[in-house]
Amino acid sequence: MQSAVVLKGVTKTFGDKHAVEALDLEIPQGSLCGFIGPNGAGKTTTIRMIMSILFPDQGEITVLDHSSALEAKDRIGYLPEERGLYRKMKVGAFLRYLGRLKGVASARMKSQIPNWLARLDLEGVEGKRCEDLSKGMQQKVQLIATLLSEPELLILDEPFTGLDPVSTRSLRALLVEEQQRGTTILFSTHMMAEAELLCDRVVMIHQGRKVLDQSIAGIRAQYDPRSVLFEPLDPSADMARFQALPSISRIERHNDAYELRLHEGADLARAMRDIAATVAPAMLQVERPSLEDIFVQIVTAGAREGADEAEIRGQAAGANGGRS
Amino acid sequence: MKKTLQVASREILATITTKGFIIGVLITPVIIIASVLIVSKAHLESTPRVVGEVAILDPTSEVVEGVAKFLSPAAFALRRAQDMELVEKNLPASVRTLTLQSGAQTLPDAAKKLLGEVPELHLRKLAETADLKEEKQALLAKQEGPSRRLALVVIHPDAVRHTAGTPEFGAYDLYVREKLDTQVEAEIKTAVRESILAARAKASGMDPKQMEYLTDVPWVQSTRVTQQGEQKAQHEVVAALIPFAFMFLIFISVMTSSQYLMTTTIEEKSSRIAEVLLSAVSPMELMAGKILGQFVVGLMVLLVYLGLGLVAMMSFAMLGLIDGWIIFFLFIFYLSSFFTYAALMAAVGACVNEIREAQSLIMPVMLTLMVPMFLWMPISRDPGSTMALALSMIPPVNSFVMLIRMTSNTPPPLWQVWTSIVLGLGGAYAAVWSSAKIFRVGLLLHGKPPDFRTMLRWIRMA
Repeated sequence: MQSAVVLKGVTKTFGDKHAVEALDLEIPQGSLCGFIGPNGAGKTTTIRMIMSILFPDQGEITVLDHSSALEAKDRIGYLPEERGLYRKMKVGAFLRYLGRLKGVASARMKSQIPNWLARLDLEGVEGKRCEDLSKGMQQKVQLIATLLSEPELLILDEPFTGLDPVSTRSLRALLVEEQQRGTTILFSTHMMAEAELLCDRVVMIHQGRKVLDQSIAGIRAQYDPRSVLFEPLDPSADMARFQALPSISRIERHNDAYELRLHEGADLARAMRDIAATVAPAMLQVERPSLEDIFVQIVTAGAREGADEAEIRGQAAGANGGRS
Repeated sequence: MKKTLQVASREILATITTKGFIIGVLITPVIIIASVLIVSKAHLESTPRVVGEVAILDPTSEVVEGVAKFLSPAAFALRRAQDMELVEKNLPASVRTLTLQSGAQTLPDAAKKLLGEVPELHLRKLAETADLKEEKQALLAKQEGPSRRLALVVIHPDAVRHTAGTPEFGAYDLYVREKLDTQVEAEIKTAVRESILAARAKASGMDPKQMEYLTDVPWVQSTRVTQQGEQKAQHEVVAALIPFAFMFLIFISVMTSSQYLMTTTIEEKSSRIAEVLLSAVSPMELMAGKILGQFVVGLMVLLVYLGLGLVAMMSFAMLGLIDGWIIFFLFIFYLSSFFTYAALMAAVGACVNEIREAQSLIMPVMLTLMVPMFLWMPISRDPGSTMALALSMIPPVNSFVMLIRMTSNTPPPLWQVWTSIVLGLGGAYAAVWSSAKIFRVGLLLHGKPPDFRTMLRWIRMA
C-alpha cells in the first residue's frame, strides 16, 4: 500500500530540548491513524513538521509524494491544536476566505458552506461574527474550514479537546465517513481511549521517540490479555479457591466483581476453563489491555531503572492543553 | 502569487473597513475641508450695516475734525477702493476666479461681502463740560438708529501738545458698547490715531502729508537672481513648508499602514489564526500578502493627502512651486520606505502576543521615523550640509531626508537622488529578507517576546 506520509530519521531540537528524535513513520493511504502520547511527547512538533510549518534539523519528510507539504498544501486539511478565527469576521466570509486560500472554487463553496454548517448543527450562523459564537461552535467552524477543500490527507491536532460528548460522537462519525471517502487521516490525541475506539492504526510517541507503530489488530494480537473479570453466581462463594490455580497470580476485588490477574505466558483458554470449573460464574470476561496499559508497559520496560509506573501513567493520562 | 493576492485583498478590506481607518484617515480630511469651506462661506456672508453715533470729547479741539473726516462714508469708500487696487495687483488669478465664483460680481463687490457694508457712523462732538459718567451710560441705552451710541472717545488734553517739561504726549480712552463689530472698532481706533498724529504734526509746524511720506516704507518682495533670469520670490512661507509637507506625506502613509500591519499581525498571532493560515500559505506568501495589502492602504492614504494638498495649492495658484517630477520621486521614496518599515513592523508583530509587548520593540523603529521630523528644519535650511547628505543616503531615513532636500530651494544633483533610491531599495530588500525569517519563527512562538539577540539568532539560523 502506498504511503500518504513518510518520515525518515526526523529530528528536531529547540535549544537543548530534543522535541523529536530520529523518528521514522509511515502512514498508509486511506488509514485512520492515531498519533498518541502524553503532553510534551512531540506530537504537535511532528505534525507541524509534516505540514512544513516547522522544518526538521535532520531527516526527510514526504507528504502525498512531495518532498514538502508546501507543494501539496491544497490537498491537505489541517486543524491545528491552537485553533483560531478572525474574531471580527463573519463566519461565511471566514470560511470563504480559507476556502479560497485552499483553492476551492467559489461556486462550490456557495453550496458546500451551507451544507457543512447544517450538518454540524450550525444553521443560521453564516452571517454572525466569529466572536459571537460559543467556543464549541467556533471549533466546529474551524473543522468545516479544514474539511471544505475535501482534502486527501487530513491532519487533526487534538481534535476532541474541548468538545462535549455529543459533538465528540458526531466528530467520530465524521472522521469514519471521511475515511470511507478515501481520505487518509492522522489525528493526535493524548486521550488514548479515543484512539482505541476510532483508529485502525496507532503510532505512540514518548519524549520525542516512537515507541509503538502498529495496527490495532496487531497490537491486540501482540499484547496478550493478562486479566479476567469474574463475578460469582453465588456472592458468598469462597474466592480463595482460585489461589490453587497455577495460571492465576493475583486476585483483586472491585465491588461485586473480581479481577483475576494471569501469570505471563499463561494459556488464556485453559485459564478460563479452570476458572469456570472452580467457582460457578455469573460473569466471566477477558479484560483486554487498553492502549494506556500498553503505553505504560512499553515505557516502563524502556525506562531507566526504578522508573515509577504511577508517574508514567500520570503522564499518559496527561492533563488537557499544553503543546506536545 | 494568487494566494499572496488573496491575503493582500483581505488585508486591505480588513483595514479600510475598520472604524479607526474610516474616521482617522478618510473622515478627518473631509472634516478639515468642510470646516474650511464653512468658515470661508461664513466670511462671505454679508454682515449687516453698522449704524450709530461715535461721541468724542476733544479738549484740544484739534483731533475731532480729522476723526470726522476719517469716519465719513466717502472716506470709507475711498480707502476700500485703494485697498482693492492693491489686492487686484497682487491677487493670483485663480483666487480672483474663486472669489468671483462665490457669487460676487466684481472684486469691490466681493470685498463688500467680505468686509460688510460701509458703516454709517455719525460723529457727535461733546462739550468739554460733558459728564463722562452720563455719556458712558448712553453706551448701555437700548435703541436703534443713527443716534444709537456705539463708542465714546475721550482725547487726553495733552494728546496733541505735551505738557511743558515732559517729552511724552497723552493719548485717548475709548469706551465701546458691549457688542461692537470689531472692524468698526478697529476703524475708530485708526481714525483717532491718524487724527492725533496729524494734529501733532500740524502743531509742530509740519505738513501732515509730509509726515506720512516720511514714515512710509513699503514691504517689498525680494527678487531672486537665477541662471534663468530674475524672478520675483512668491509665497516664501509656503515654499519653506513644502519640504516638510512632502516628508510628512510619506511619514503619515508609512506610519499609518505599517502600524496597521503590525496590529493585524498581532491579531492573527494572538487569535491563533496564524497556524491555520500557514497550513494554506507559506510564511513568505503570508507576509508578502500582508505587506502588499498594507502597501495599497498606505498608497490610498498618500493619494488622499497628496490630492488634498495639490487641490489646495492649485486653488492658490501655487502649483508652480512644485516640480512635476517630485511627485514621481515621492512614489519611489514611498515604495522604499514603506517596504522597509512594513517589514520591520511585521517582524515586531510576529514576535509579540499583544500590542503592549510591542512597545519596547517598536521604539527603535519609531525613533528612526522621528529623526527626519526633528531635523527637517536644519536640513531644509541647509540641504547641502554633510549631515543632510549623509542622512539622505542612510536607510531607512534616506527617503524622508532626500525628499526634504529635493523640495528645498537648492535641490541635490540627480546622481545623489538615484544613489539614495538604490540604497533605499537595498535597505528595503534587507529589511524584508531578515524580517521574513523573524516572521516565520516568531509567528508560532507564544510566551515571552524575544530580545534583539534572539531575533538576530533567528535571522542567522532560519
